[in-house]
This record gives sequence, structure tokens and C-alpha cells, in this order.
Amino acid sequence: MPTAEAIQAQLFLNAIQAAGVTDIVAVPDTHQRSLIELLDCTGEPRFIQTATEDEAVALAAGLIVGGRRPIVQIQHAGLYACVNHLRGIADDGRFPMVFLIGLLGRDPNLLPGEHGGSMVRLAQPLLDIFDVAHFLLDSPADLDKLTGAFEVAESRQGPVALLVGVMTN
Amino acid sequence: MADTNTWQSITVDSALTALAKRREKQVVVSTMTAMRPWRDSAETDRDLICVGFMGGASTFGLGVQLARPDVPVWVLDGDGSLAMQLGSLLTVANASPRRFLHVVFHNGVYDTSGAQPVLAEGKMSFTEMAKGAGYAEAIRFDDIESFDAALDELLEVDGPVLIELISEPTGESFKEPKGGAAVHPTGERPQPSALAAIWPKVRDSLAADAQ
Repeated sequence: MPTAEAIQAQLFLNAIQAAGVTDIVAVPDTHQRSLIELLDCTGEPRFIQTATEDEAVALAAGLIVGGRRPIVQIQHAGLYACVNHLRGIADDGRFPMVFLIGLLGRDPNLLPGEHGGSMVRLAQPLLDIFDVAHFLLDSPADLDKLTGAFEVAESRQGPVALLVGVMTN
Repeated sequence: MADTNTWQSITVDSALTALAKRREKQVVVSTMTAMRPWRDSAETDRDLICVGFMGGASTFGLGVQLARPDVPVWVLDGDGSLAMQLGSLLTVANASPRRFLHVVFHNGVYDTSGAQPVLAEGKMSFTEMAKGAGYAEAIRFDDIESFDAALDELLEVDGPVLIELISEPTGESFKEPKGGAAVHPTGERPQPSALAAIWPKVRDSLAADAQ
């Protein structure tokens, strides 16, 4: 049985900065609230808010064209909302795009696939259908997957999702 | 409310000609009705397309502008397309890109799918929506002479600027963009879209300009 741990916002930010991320393109996510607050006041990387997740994906693609290294930060509900942009831009357009996706409501003692509710349970199967590589961030030790996610995205020329398993603190 | 019965209209080709003669090093994102004629007549290594993610043209262009504030970005959008992502007006206005021109071809219909009407046609105004969202400037034209005469000055305005062009439907059906995806073998990753071949050229062009 997994026991996922919350990741402290400052540790998360340190890992994001170490990965060379230039911009966070985000729709606010309750699950990553403490990280968003920290990003918003730190200003490094730049924090860019969009009205919808579709826009976040398109905007991040434009940033990549312009030579930047963004992360798209959304919630699982936002993933469900933006699957066509995920497919049409990030995947079919071959953009090496990294996502941080908050699994709001995830029980840290269960794997996401063991949940009864659809919000947490269907995120990974959906990513599988769209051929998006994904990794769970279930403890501070998983933060090194951030840099790895960019390497995978570059090698596959496509999107990679990091699923934030427990609400950041 | 505007009396739409008195509006004239602009042909897509004439509007694109007016833009093309002012083209320098701008990155242009085109979609829908304007995309094919623009690419056929004015394409450079700084042209991006929005196909398969309808409504995404303006935020795609916004990303380029936020990455490269020194390079002007033009977005050639459609009315039905913008209607799919109206929230993008807020996203663009909030980011305040200074060299960002958002041209909306308002022909009142979903042109490529059989001319079904755009919703609330005759009641709504993209110009007023953009102003309400916080664009720095928004203006409507329904004749090519006025548009052409005003364009130089509008290109100097600190953006974001939205230009709503009352335009004529072309009646053309959708055609897959050059280099578009075909049927892919079962079990393999779907073939890349035309955009996959286009955007690295734009990236490289911008990178070369930064050196």
C-alpha cells in the first residue's frame, strides 16, 4: 500500500528552478495552491495565468517556439478539459511539453487507479490513451523526475505529465 | 448596438494583401478562412498555423510574443474560432503583449463546414468584447479602404490590438494543410501534424535573429 507524502512548496520550486524552467503557465489548482502562491510571489520562473487549460497548452507551445522552457500547471479536471489541445498541439505538433497535474482528492494510501471516483482514477488511463508518458510525484524524493521529464519530452518530441500525488504544503 | 444591416464587407484576399505589404519580421499565426490564402501568397519562415485545436491561435501567438517581446506577432483569427475560446481575450489582455495584433475575420458563419451561422450573429461584437476584456485598442472595419488607411497607425499602437474585419465568406471547404497527417499504421504513434514540421523553422528563425 503506498503512503504518498506532501511535497513542500519551496522544495518544489527549487527543483523547478534547477530544471531550468523559464515559465509556469497555469490555471489555478487547489491541489498545488502553496506552490502557486510561492511561484506568484517569487517571479522566477515567470508565472503566466490563463483562463482555460486549452489556452495554457497553446501558450506554452508558443513559448517553446520562442525558445523558452515552460511547464503547464493544471489540475486533473483541467486535463480532462484540454485533451484536444493536448492531442492537437503537444502530441501531433511534437512539442516537448511538460505538465504538472494535481490529483486533487487523491487518497495518499491508494494508488490513483484504486480510487472509486473518476477524477483521480481516470487521469493515468487517459494519458495512456493519448500516449503521454507520465510519472507520479509521491514524495520529495521524486522531484528529480522533473529534469527527467524534460529529457523524456525532448527525446519523444511530445508531452510528458508529472502527477502531483498529494496536495503541496 | 451596431446596425449590422448597414455593414459593407471586405474580401479576405484584399485584407491579406493589405497586411502582406506591411510584412517584415513578424511571426504570423493563421487559422481558418485566412490560413490557406495567406500561406499561398505570403508564407515565410515565420508563419505558424492553428489546425486541429480550434480557438488556439491567439494564445499560441501570445506565447511567442511573451517569449520574444522584440518580435511583433500577428494573429489571423476567425469568428467561430475565437468564439470557441472567448476566455482567451482575458488571457491576452492580462498579459498585455505590446506588439500583438489580433485580426478577426468576422464573416458570420462557419465557412468551411457549410456556412452555419456563428452564434448571436447580428447581436454581438468582437470589438466590444475585446474592449471589455481589456485590450489596449479594438476597432471594426467593413471596407478595405478604411482598413488599409488606418493600418499603419494601428501597427504602431502599444497592444494588444484587435481588428475586427467584417468579411465575406469564401465558401471554400476545409483542406488539410500542406504536409498534413495521413492515415497511420495501427499501433504506432499517430503521424505528426503539419505544424510539427513548421514550428521548428520558426524557432530557428527567431533564434538566429537573437544572436
